[in-house]
Amino acid sequence: MTATRNLGFVAAGATLLSAAPLSAIFERWTWLIQATIAVAVVAGVAALTRLVRAPLWGQALGMLAGLVLALTWIFPSGGELVALVPTPATFAHFGELVGASAQDMRSYRVKVPDTPPLLFISVLGIGGVALVVDVLSVGLRRPALAGLPMLAIYSVPVAVYVDSVPAVPFVVGAAGYLWLLVADNVDRVRRFGRRFTGDGRDVDVWESSPLAAAGRRLAVVGVALAVVLPLAVPGMTGGLLDTLGSGTGNGTGRAGQGGNPGRVDLFAALSGELNQSEVADMVKVTTTESGPFYLRFGVADQLEADGFRVGSPTGQAVTRGLPDPPQEAREGVEQRRYRATVETTKNFAMPLLPVYGEPVRIEELGGNWRYDPALQLVFSNRDDSREKRYSFDYVRSTYSPAALRRATSLPADHPLRLRQTATPPVSQVDTLVAGLVRGERTDYDKVRAIYDYFSSDNGFSYSLTTKGGTSGQDIVDFLNNKAGFCQQYAAAMAWLVRAAGIPARVAFGFTNGTGRTDEGYVLTNRNLHAWTEVYFDGMGWVPFDATPAYGVQGSTRSAWAPDTDAPESVTPEPGAPVTPGENDPSAEAAGPDRPDRETDAGLAVGAGDPTRQAPVWPWWTAGVLVLLGLLAVPALRRAALRRRRGTRVAAVPTATMVDAGTGRDGVERTIVVGVDPDRARADAHAAWDELLDTLVDYRVRVDRTETPRATAERLAADALTEDAAAAAAARLLGRAEERARYARDPLAGEELAPALRSVRGVLAARADRRTRVLATVLPPSVLLRWRTAVSDTSSRVVATTGDARYRLLRWDPRRLLANRAAR
Amino acid sequence: MTQQTWDEVGGLLPHDEFRAASEAIVANIEQVIEGKTATVRLALAVLLAEGHLLIEDVPGVGKTKLAKALARSIDCSVRRIQFTPDLLPSDVTGVSVYNQETHDFEFRPGAVFANLVVGDEINRASPKTQSALLECMEERQVTVDGVTYQLQTPFMVIATQNPIEMEGTYPLPEAQRDRFTARIAMGYPDPAAELAMLDGHGAADPLQDLGAVSDADTVRRLIATVREVHVADAVKQYAVDLVTATREAPDLRLGASPRATLQLLRTARAVAALEGRDYVLPDDLQALAVPVLAHRIIPTADAQLARRTTDAIVSELVHRLALPHDRQRSPYDTRPTGEGNGRAPYEPRRR
Repeated sequence: MTATRNLGFVAAGATLLSAAPLSAIFERWTWLIQATIAVAVVAGVAALTRLVRAPLWGQALGMLAGLVLALTWIFPSGGELVALVPTPATFAHFGELVGASAQDMRSYRVKVPDTPPLLFISVLGIGGVALVVDVLSVGLRRPALAGLPMLAIYSVPVAVYVDSVPAVPFVVGAAGYLWLLVADNVDRVRRFGRRFTGDGRDVDVWESSPLAAAGRRLAVVGVALAVVLPLAVPGMTGGLLDTLGSGTGNGTGRAGQGGNPGRVDLFAALSGELNQSEVADMVKVTTTESGPFYLRFGVADQLEADGFRVGSPTGQAVTRGLPDPPQEAREGVEQRRYRATVETTKNFAMPLLPVYGEPVRIEELGGNWRYDPALQLVFSNRDDSREKRYSFDYVRSTYSPAALRRATSLPADHPLRLRQTATPPVSQVDTLVAGLVRGERTDYDKVRAIYDYFSSDNGFSYSLTTKGGTSGQDIVDFLNNKAGFCQQYAAAMAWLVRAAGIPARVAFGFTNGTGRTDEGYVLTNRNLHAWTEVYFDGMGWVPFDATPAYGVQGSTRSAWAPDTDAPESVTPEPGAPVTPGENDPSAEAAGPDRPDRETDAGLAVGAGDPTRQAPVWPWWTAGVLVLLGLLAVPALRRAALRRRRGTRVAAVPTATMVDAGTGRDGVERTIVVGVDPDRARADAHAAWDELLDTLVDYRVRVDRTETPRATAERLAADALTEDAAAAAAARLLGRAEERARYARDPLAGEELAPALRSVRGVLAARADRRTRVLATVLPPSVLLRWRTAVSDTSSRVVATTGDARYRLLRWDPRRLLANRAAR
Repeated sequence: MTQQTWDEVGGLLPHDEFRAASEAIVANIEQVIEGKTATVRLALAVLLAEGHLLIEDVPGVGKTKLAKALARSIDCSVRRIQFTPDLLPSDVTGVSVYNQETHDFEFRPGAVFANLVVGDEINRASPKTQSALLECMEERQVTVDGVTYQLQTPFMVIATQNPIEMEGTYPLPEAQRDRFTARIAMGYPDPAAELAMLDGHGAADPLQDLGAVSDADTVRRLIATVREVHVADAVKQYAVDLVTATREAPDLRLGASPRATLQLLRTARAVAALEGRDYVLPDDLQALAVPVLAHRIIPTADAQLARRTTDAIVSELVHRLALPHDRQRSPYDTRPTGEGNGRAPYEPRRR
């Protein structure tokens, strides 16, 4: 009984451990208190019901009741009896909580705050898992199955984090599961009888049985594999290895992951989508503007030590109207009003809606959607952007470089400047910025200096996979590696501009994709993009796209931010952004970014700088050749064996058999003259080995309890029935082998090679095609021999290490503990 | 009577003479026992292996006839003992009687003082009488009144017993059974042989007309030849493996004795010689395992309850045991390597 009770508490503890992955979901750890209370109540009720020897269903019902009571106490509706007994009102409250939790799940992104609905659903889930684990492991004694509900908890962060899952909580959960298994097994052994710990018998207390050590080793290897394997296989997690390798992020931009309360992790979503293997349509947009700038839906403007983070937007509902854009027309700033219609598909699920420029009026959207004028975002706390259709009017501003150059710097005490130019102290960045902006007088010149810095002249290239670095600072890593994609470029430029004392932020959205169709633009997940926006006094936020144009499909450049990699002469007309494939010379110059290319050029396998990339086919060819060579090794080995044996057998000189008269003690004996008996023996053995290998190759049964004679007879009776010559040949081989093995004098003077050939021929003709092909390509005999060799070696190694270990145990200090009282 | 002792067997026979002599004996016996060539050859092999033969089968299948035919085919002294419950040991071994003329005790040899001793229905005698055979069968000598008398060579006891009828019988003790080299069952003749038997045996007993085709001297030389048959190390190893397997088989309470190993190899030599070979094959051992080993072992109570006969257990062992190799390890041998070939050393089981 004690043991069973112990097992119940172990099950509860294991459940709590397996809930560790939820720490990746919640912002704080307080959920653990409620979860612990619920699990403790469930475990306590289970122990009590077992104390009164309730049947299994009684235990389950009791635990369920306990869980309900605990939930009632933790999440009261106010209408309970004595604060504990649930009433219908309580269950109505629970229903509301569940409904609200669904709402919260949609509106919040990790890490979520401790809202009651989410806490309720978590505690309910953990309590339910505790119940199921208890029933499975204690009631049904199937603790292995209890891993499934535990895995269900782990699946929550897996579902939430699209591209990378924290590994440590998984290890914690796995440890809990192993604990449960171990406890159950110890209990099982105890039930069987006294647990043999080896006390007082000169047996190691800690290593009472070699089986125990093996089990422990298996468990450790299993957990290590489960953790390490996803890291090693790049396709499975989208670069978790990079995450571990370079600190916190996949590059500068990735640093935004997992930081901001309550809002979308745009950086993670962006890199996740760009790394998706399939292309999914996300947005269809039609606009009256001929060459629009990027469609925009998100902003990250909070810079912290590990990168940009998404801030929380605030604003009024779009149904109440949008604030007017600044109307005062400045010289060099051209403002035009256009109208666009956007249709989102089910693949685009964000609490944000994409819009162009500065929207001034939005139609066909519900009151759930709000507009933040500072961030210029349309957002919702409840709804998401799936399958929406709406129209809006927007103002597109285009700026001339001269006008931007005229813009004055913001005063040092301007709140925007105070808020948006604070950068974490990174000395290398500060040095770099100071060098870049030296001698530049206006804000625009400084920004252009920084913008121009991200050019191929300075060694920057586009790559969807980013390398880690050792500096511990992702931005420094990026500036050193000079390879990345839009995230890194946008975030790095924003950082540098801020370091220069000018407000800047990172914007997210879509490029113009592969071009315009009659219905407008169809934008996919591959067209997701990020760029930098810089604030100029009196002008507002002005976009700059520092990402190399060849890497981004549908990249658009403007007069104030021309393509840094393009020749000066082909800079596009001011204020007339272009779509690639029509007249973007930079795209043409970059080569790979042709309009007929379906996907982002950077997505090619092993993407680096496409212009400088060596052709991959030699590697492929070499790889295929190496693979083929490896595959051919067994066949070659088989051929070599056959040739060696063949020369052996064929080299037999036709011996002369002479009657040597009566031998010893009057027994007539034939003495072979001219043939070395050892030689003849070896030949017979070679022929017999070859025959056995042939049998294995053609999948004829080889029985190691059979004598050569019996094998030959069986062959003649079963496999070689059609061919009398082959049957005779098989008998000859059998006789030669048995004489070689058991007789005083080996059989000599017989032609074994032709016999072998005829048997082989008949067997080959009899086998089906698959067997024949396998016998030629991957001879089972060779594989079997290798397998035997490997297992022999491994068992020898195990025996040797076991021996050595046993000898070493003599000096093990733990042996002194062997005399303590038996547990 | 010349006293040929155990070690004086005479010279070897040339190959074709051996063949002729053995074929003649077999053919002679087959005049009486039709359609049982294998059994007859096995009986002859036991004779050539200097062993004793236990023929065990239901009544009326020709046990005694085989024994007598074998005895008659060889021109040597033959004695027949009908074992009855009141038979005394002295009837078997001999007794000292007082001679009035010489005023002295005089030894009168019993039935065992012959080349071939046919013991009919051996399990009908009391264990006391059965025990009289112990010494003579293994040591080929008889000790009466403190005087030891050597028996002749060849010496062979051919005993018959009926396994079905248990009333009034005394089962052979283990020590006695172990002294028999082989136990063979006659089995029913096939219909054709039975039909031929009806024709041949209808009028007269062919046994009466059976003449000797060989003599004791020839048999001694045959035995000498058999002793010279070559046994390779691998075959010896296989014999040891087989016997060890019976000692370790979970179904068996008692395995085969070292004497069994010796007699297995001797019989295998004889069989090989009868087949015209001068070397023993594992095939011989496989074929002989059941006749030579099965009557010496005792199955466990579980195996008896499961109606597993010792014959079935031994033949299963034979089918499971891998052939030893005198060369490198066979690649198809997947047993683990290591001391004792992965098997625990022989440990006597608690009885």
